[in-house]
Amino acid sequence: MNKLLIIFGLLISISLSSCIEITDDITINADGSGLFKYAINLSESKVKVNSLLALDSIEGKKVPTLAEIESKIVEFKKIFASKPGISNVKIESDFTNFIFKLTCNFSSVNTLQTAVKEVIKEISNEKNSTELEAVWLKWDGQKLERSIPDITIKKSKEFKTEDIEQLKKGKYTSISRFAKPIEKCSNPSGIISKNKLATMVQTNIYSLTKNPKLLENTIYLFPNKN
Amino acid sequence: MKHLSFVICSLIFTASFAQKSEDLIPRDAVTVFSINNFTLLQKISLDDLVKYEFMAEVQSELFDGSTSGKTLKDAGIDFDQKMNIFYGRGKEYEISGFTFGIKNKTDLFQVFDDFQLADSKIPGTETYTSFFNSLIIKGNSALLIRVEPLQDRVNELTDSIWYANGNESPWVDTYEEMEEDLKEESEKEVMKEEIYEEMPEATQPKTEDEFPVAEENPLQKNYYEMRDSVEMVLQIGFLDAICKDLFVSNLNLKAVDSRFAEQLTHPSEGIFFLDNSRNLQQSKRIWYLETMFPTLYSDLKELYTGNVLLGDLLLNNNSVQFKMESRYGEKLGSIYEKLNHSKFDKKVLNYIHKDNTAYFTYNVNLREAYEQAFKVIMPILTNEKNTQMSTSVLALDLLNEFINKDALFGTYKGSMFGTFNGIKKVKTTKIEFTYDEETFEYQEKEVKAEEDMPIFTLGFSTERNDIPLKVLQHLSRLTSRFQNKGTYWVFENAILNAAPLYMIANEGLFIFTNDQDLAENHVKGYGKEALAKKDAAKAAKSGSMYANINLAQAIDRFPRDFFSSKQNEILDAMRGKTGSMELTSSKTTKEKTSFDLLYTYGGTYDNAGKYLLDLMNSLYIISK
Repeated sequence: MNKLLIIFGLLISISLSSCIEITDDITINADGSGLFKYAINLSESKVKVNSLLALDSIEGKKVPTLAEIESKIVEFKKIFASKPGISNVKIESDFTNFIFKLTCNFSSVNTLQTAVKEVIKEISNEKNSTELEAVWLKWDGQKLERSIPDITIKKSKEFKTEDIEQLKKGKYTSISRFAKPIEKCSNPSGIISKNKLATMVQTNIYSLTKNPKLLENTIYLFPNKN
Repeated sequence: MKHLSFVICSLIFTASFAQKSEDLIPRDAVTVFSINNFTLLQKISLDDLVKYEFMAEVQSELFDGSTSGKTLKDAGIDFDQKMNIFYGRGKEYEISGFTFGIKNKTDLFQVFDDFQLADSKIPGTETYTSFFNSLIIKGNSALLIRVEPLQDRVNELTDSIWYANGNESPWVDTYEEMEEDLKEESEKEVMKEEIYEEMPEATQPKTEDEFPVAEENPLQKNYYEMRDSVEMVLQIGFLDAICKDLFVSNLNLKAVDSRFAEQLTHPSEGIFFLDNSRNLQQSKRIWYLETMFPTLYSDLKELYTGNVLLGDLLLNNNSVQFKMESRYGEKLGSIYEKLNHSKFDKKVLNYIHKDNTAYFTYNVNLREAYEQAFKVIMPILTNEKNTQMSTSVLALDLLNEFINKDALFGTYKGSMFGTFNGIKKVKTTKIEFTYDEETFEYQEKEVKAEEDMPIFTLGFSTERNDIPLKVLQHLSRLTSRFQNKGTYWVFENAILNAAPLYMIANEGLFIFTNDQDLAENHVKGYGKEALAKKDAAKAAKSGSMYANINLAQAIDRFPRDFFSSKQNEILDAMRGKTGSMELTSSKTTKEKTSFDLLYTYGGTYDNAGKYLLDLMNSLYIISK
């Protein structure tokens, strides 16, 4: 598990100082179950990622090999798939362009949230973090409330000046999809698709680290016609 | 009058034969750095000195707060004598330390306040000890030395005594003991908790270490205690022998090595001595050779005899010059002489841009060196009467006959050049997610991108450009990543799986580069934009090696992203030190090759000593 933590630490440190694109995409079915997709795209910084991977260590920490990273991704997938209410977990790893995609089905937003919290607790030192007690997803059948964990604010204070320029180029996209049409969303930056079934919020990662509320969004669906 | 004459004669005699600091360097020293002009450092405060990482770590035992507000001058050190720092490794022990002159012993011990007076076995000397260090003073000179027996020798002796006393192997029950220890620990914890509960809070021990551990028989030594004793006895014995050599027999490095003695007479600020032949003999890796192939070992030892590196450090107003002389024996020298018997290939200069940040040229003749090495080394190998060696000699002999040496050394003659052109944007590709407005479904699209990359060029002289081109043609049939662009070849995504590598075969040169501009626009060289004539002449005139670095530009152009924050801190510190560094070498003879490293710096410094220390510290941190 320690190696897994080193790998995640490395991925985080690469992410912090490289140009990164993150996309989270949640689809909620009428019964509350759904599909979750999460993608990290480091292709714009592949020279840097490759050069870091060519090193033995960074700041005293061993840099894992691609084989080690692959085996730990398999381990992560196994842990995540074992959580109740989570199924069809798939992880696609593209080590040429450095794009990593996670896809899974969930029985309810609560099971997804619990599974994510448990995996974080298992693989990190944030065992009793109060941030993990927060609710990031709330769904009542008519309205979805979304936010991102406060833990990112803590991390943002560690950024160095040279990282900030890279973070400004990074992009975070958050998409929510539904089976029924969307009436409105609370985030002023949020846009609704032409078919009215999806909403999207985009921001640069630097702004997000300074203000995690940028991705907060409450999406209201048209009420059922009786 | 008779009395006066006697006193004067005595004084002259004593002055002539009094041991100076350089006379206290043990003959086992393999590396010595001697500071002649020690006065350079006298203005530096000890507080400043101990702030340097190299000093703080090495001398943490000495400078432990007793240095406050003092300069080296206040430490009772005699600046009219040299300070000599030495290191050596023999078959049985390692030595390290330094020798220096003393002006005021009282002041000295204000700084060296951890040292305690010990019994001295050599008449006329005073011995002080502190942990593993010994300070031996004779007259106005002192030797601070640490002697460490080699661990293999200590283990060997300890094992011998341990088994002779009828003990079993100390390692047999290790695992069982570990298990028992763990069990005992947990029992102890339970017991402790019970005891603590019954005790008043104020008298409860704060840590578990406060419970004393009783040995069954305190007079009986366990393996580790015996090992420590053996180490200490060896250490004392070795130190005694070194002291007898130095103070009774007057056998020191200066007395036994005329090259070192001669080097000490140089009027430079500092001198350097490294006896490579002894380094070879004491190398751990040579043990196998010595045991399995004694004749070969003996012949190789002879081959390396006289292999020594001598250096002079000169501090000028705005430059530091390091002159080195590599000396060797006749046989080895004959190989080096042939290796460097090569005409400088002026074509390489056309491929070095005038605004270059750093470049080097390396000019050797591999063919002649190979032929000479074959002549010198084959008889040595043949001399060893051993089946394994005889088979290897036969294989080498056959290879020598069958290999087409004209093709091999025609392809790679040995001469090469390299340049660092700073950082440029290189074209790469990236994957972008594009979103459909209707549904926000997204797909991946490959688009062109740019990333920062250090730009390097490496080229070598060749008479047979057709051979590497043959290889490229075959490779291009295997994969489309190798492409012939007419005047050059490109290997897509070769560097860090992202950027292309370009290959140019032109006019007796084969060049590898990631500089797109060089490949596309300067296949025949930079022409008028190439290195200035004056600089080109310097490279051409140099012997086998020439290097030039514009330090300020090189450091400024280092990509921050490629280094850790700690390394960037060091680079930032060096960014203030502008200047250039130039390495030249002489023509190689059978006896020696000389190298000259000149570092010319800008900026203002209080004194050269401060600059020297800054530079040493930067190098120390980088090499850590």
